[in-house]
This record gives sequence, C-alpha cells and structure tokens, in this order.
Amino acid sequence: MTTESLITKPESAIRVAPSVLVGIGAFAAVGVYVLVGSVELNLWTSLGPGPGLFPFAMGAVLVAMAVLWLVQELRRPSETAEGVDRGLVVAVVLSLTILAALMDLLGFQLSMFLFLMYHLRLRGRRSWVSSLITALAGSVGAFYAFNYGLNVTLPVSAFPLLNMIGL
Amino acid sequence: MDTLNELMGGFAAAMTWQNLLFAFLGCLLGTIIGVLPGIGPVAGVALLIPLTMNLDATGAIIMLCAIFYGTAYGGTITSVLLNTPGEAASAITTIDGYAMTKVGKAGAALTIAAVGSFVGGTIATIGLVAAAKPLGELGLLVGPPEFFALMVVGISLLVALAGKSMVKAVISGALGLLIAMVGIDPVAGAPRFTFGMDRLLDGVSFVAVIVGVFGLSELLSHRKETATPTVHAPNMRALLPTGKEWRRSAPAMARGTGIGFGLGLIPGMTGSVSSLLAYGAEKKFSRHRSQLGKGAIEGVAGPETANNAHANAALIPLFTLGIPASPTIAVLMGAFLQQGLTPGPTLFTEHSEIAWAIIASLFIGNLLLLVLNVPLVGLWTSILRVPSTILTPLILLFMVIGAYTINFSVFDVFVMIGFGLLGLALRHLDIPLAPMVLTLVLGPLMERSLRESLEISQGDFGIFTSRPISAVLIGLGILIVFSPLLKFRKPKALNEDPET
Repeated sequence: MTTESLITKPESAIRVAPSVLVGIGAFAAVGVYVLVGSVELNLWTSLGPGPGLFPFAMGAVLVAMAVLWLVQELRRPSETAEGVDRGLVVAVVLSLTILAALMDLLGFQLSMFLFLMYHLRLRGRRSWVSSLITALAGSVGAFYAFNYGLNVTLPVSAFPLLNMIGL
Repeated sequence: MDTLNELMGGFAAAMTWQNLLFAFLGCLLGTIIGVLPGIGPVAGVALLIPLTMNLDATGAIIMLCAIFYGTAYGGTITSVLLNTPGEAASAITTIDGYAMTKVGKAGAALTIAAVGSFVGGTIATIGLVAAAKPLGELGLLVGPPEFFALMVVGISLLVALAGKSMVKAVISGALGLLIAMVGIDPVAGAPRFTFGMDRLLDGVSFVAVIVGVFGLSELLSHRKETATPTVHAPNMRALLPTGKEWRRSAPAMARGTGIGFGLGLIPGMTGSVSSLLAYGAEKKFSRHRSQLGKGAIEGVAGPETANNAHANAALIPLFTLGIPASPTIAVLMGAFLQQGLTPGPTLFTEHSEIAWAIIASLFIGNLLLLVLNVPLVGLWTSILRVPSTILTPLILLFMVIGAYTINFSVFDVFVMIGFGLLGLALRHLDIPLAPMVLTLVLGPLMERSLRESLEISQGDFGIFTSRPISAVLIGLGILIVFSPLLKFRKPKALNEDPET
C-alpha cells in the first residue's frame, strides 16, 4: 500500500474507478438536494431552531465529505471491491419485486409458493419433490403457523375465487 | 441491598413460564442465527422484531436480548467445526478452534467456548447489576444538552473506529441521520422529505431499512454458491475437556472477561475488537503461547469469553445512559422504543419491574445457553448441512415476512428491497454500515435533544459549552474526530475488524 502510494503520481487520477466516481457524485447530489430542501423547510423560526436546521447540517456534511473523498481518490485511488454476481442480484431483486407486487393480489400463500418454487426448482435445481415440500411448508405452512401461532396475519388473495379456496 | 431486592423481584418476573419460554426461544433462534453464516446478528435481531410486537414488552425484550447474546454463542460452532466464522466476532477462534478440530478435539473446544461464554456473560451481567443504580442516578442529572453531547461522543467514537476511512464512516453516519429524518418532524410537526407520499409521513420503518441494508445486501453480495461442507458432530464423550485443558483455560477466561467487559462499555467497540485483543493477550501472556495457532485451548477460551463478556457489558451503557454501544445494540434499542420503552436512566424509575426482569433474564439466558449449546451440538451441525440452495430462499422468506409484518403493508417490502440495493452499493464502495445503523436509531433522539437545548438557551449554541458535563463531552467528541490529525495510532486490531 505505502510503496504504491509513493509510486503513483498525479496522472493516476484516471485510475479512479467509475463506480467510485458515481458513488461520490450520488452522495454529493443527495447532499445538495437535502441542502435545498431544508432551506425550504425553515432553518430558524421565532421559537428557535426550525425543522430544516438538522437536515441542513447533514446535507452540508454529506457534500463536504463527498468533496474530501474525491480529493482522497485523486491522490490515491482506492482499490475497488470485487464485482458482484450480477445474475444473483438481478434474480433475487426482480423476484422479490414481483413477489411484493403480487402479494396483495394473489395472497401470501400462492405468491410465496411461486417465489420459492422459482428459487428452489429453477435457480437452485433442487428435485421436484424437495422443492414442492419446501415451498409448501414456506408458503401454506408459514401462513398458518404465523396466523395461529403468533397471531400475525399474512395477506389473503384479493380475488374472490382464490379467496374461496383458502388462499 | 435495595438493588438485590429489586433483582430478586426481577427473577420472580422472569421465571414465569411465558418469560422462560421467550428466553428459551430467543436463545434457540440466536444460536441458529449465529450458526448460519449468511445472516448476522444485526439483521437477525431486526428480522425478529416484528414477530415480537404482539408480545408484552417484557417478553419481547427478553426474547430479543436472548437472540442477541445467543448469536455470540452460535458463531463459535462454525468457527471451530468448519473454519468459517458464523459471526465476525468469532473469526479469530477459527485459528485454534479449527486446529483442535483437526486433531479430534472439537468437542473440548466447543465446551470450553460455551463455559467461557457463560463465565464472561455472567460476570458482565453482575457488572450491569452493580452499575445500574449509581449510573442511573447520574444519568438523571443529564439534561438535553448533556444528552446531545453524550450521543455526539458515542457517534464520533463509532465513526473514528469504523473501517479504514473516516470520510466514508461520516458519510454512512450522515445517511443514517437523513433516513431517520424522513417523516413528520418531532418538534414542529412539518413533513420532511416525504416526496408527497403519505406512507412516508410516519417515517421509513427502521426494521425494513436494517433488514435490507444488513440482511438482503449480505445475500446479494455472495459470490459463488459454495458446496455444502461436510460436518461431523463430535460425540458426547469427546465433548468433555481434560483436567489439564480446564486448568489452562481458566486464566485465559479471566483475561478475556476483563478485556471484553472493559471494551464492551465503550461505544463504537464491536465484539470483534474484544476477541481480537483477547487473542493478542493470550499471545503475549499465556504460558503456552508457543502453541497458539496450532490448536491451543487458550486461543479458544480467551476470545470466546471476551466476546460474550463484551456482548453483555455493552448492555450497560444502553440500560443506564440510553446510548447503544454497537450496531446490534442500536437495533435492540430500536426494539425498546417500538415497545414504548426508552432505554436510559428513566427506565429504572418508570419501568423498574421490566428493567429488572430483563436483567434477571440475562442470567437465566446465559445459563440456558450453556445447557443448550453443548449437548445440542449435533442439532446445530445438522443445520449446517442444509444446502444453500434451500437456505437462501428460506432466509428471503423470513425477510419478506419480517418486513411485511411491521405495518402489515407491502410498501415496507419494497423499502427493504431498495435498501438492500443501497446496502450492496455501500458494501461495494467499502463504506462501513455500522455508523448508519447507530445514527438511524439515535437520529430522532439526537435531533430532539439538540432542538430542546437550543430552545432552552433561546438559540444560543453556547449552552453546550457553558454547562460543564456537556462541555467536557463535546470536547471529547472533537478530540476523537480529530485524533487522526494528532497522529494517535489506532490499535491494529481495529483496522482488521471485520464487523465495520
């Protein structure tokens, strides 16, 4: 680390990773947005500090830190973390989003069953039997366990037809 | 003797069959969370908060506390048997613990770890009992300016100690405070940063945020699905350490208790730091230091004892001053607040029975874990044999249920997904997550005390420097933040702290 920092000269500026630049930019943007937003909220009222004061301070901190970080990166670019498994991220985030969107419509049991089947059978390549048992336990089983065991009600389907058969 | 009477009352309340059951369930769940490598204590405790919301306050907090220190026990099991720590705090145990497994002494290592954890946890809890009254009374002298200053110290310690870059730690802390500010402002009642969404008037649910940032992003950042390791549970006879091993462990446990207890009191110190330093202490002071790294029992006893002493000692600042010392404690504090209990000196005056029942349950829980852990090693190892292709979907299932049940709304599931992605981005940028959790929970309290102070002084910031206690605390905070400029070296162990 130290030897590397001695070798790197100003031209290493180009070596700042794009993801780091995007991150710094995003934090600065959020900071500016908060600064503007909190001025509109009133920094000071006749009674003393207003609702905008604290966020204003935080926005300022965020902008200042983003600038400091940029300076640090230009002096000595940090090594970026290893990349992520994009397939995994997309599959999990997308399936979760669809699950959340459908949960009120199809009810917890059916939507969770489909979600679990996707992850167990399609992504996990489990056998049909193992997938079905696990998915049923995680959807129908969890529904009743939470309902009767913990007094926590999970959503039922908005469709009368599905509702009638207990989903 | 007043304290002792109240503690006895606490035991009476904690010994009802319901509360014993909650403590038992909490220990069980905590151990499972500790054993599972994919999910840490922060997300684990947050995930289970919604499940406890329908319970009465005492039972709910007893269960969540048991989950909290149960994870400290559970993390050891994978460290020793698999060479992969279930929790960051038991990472150092892998060195000698796994070396002992390789020579067939896994059982002895696990037993010593459990006994050490029990000793450390129990002594730290006795410390809590002793400190509760005097510190609580001191805490009552604290007004809004002092309270604000105290939180400044806590947060600046965490920021200074977290990770390699203070700039990144401050960004993390500021983000947490900003997220905490979404919703109706606590003093004037103006909606802030709600983007016109009614849903956000009550603020962003901290459970959904924490489950997303800590739990979901952890799952998302997994790289290759690793093959399920083969684990063999040691048999019962092999569980008992020899007399020599007991004798060698005792001094290591004593050192571990001291280190863990001392560091547990300091905000910003995580359990990992305690276990790392305890290992370092063994390397320096143990009579068998030459064997460390090759399967010395001291290398298990010291860190594991320190880890649990730390976990229990960290409850002292929470109970007496209302300051969470670590991310997991911050989540626990969030659970207190959701139950309508404000941790801190007023807890002992306003909800004295609940506070003492919880403290009594800490003793019971530590005993339960000792009894549960060792004989059930077979059960814990069988959990490890569940392949990740089944485990990951099931963890996702619990995250969805946990997020949904906070307000019984899918909105919070979307919040969790969004913060999962944010957490992934922060991990990628090497921004520590710990300061964010702390400020997320403390944010509203901090803002209220700042504004109350300024209202008392009619807008004069001098109130923070004219009152002696707050002046000293603010000075301390500034010193901590600027310590890198003064070239104070942090101990090397802190830079290696995997939790931050």
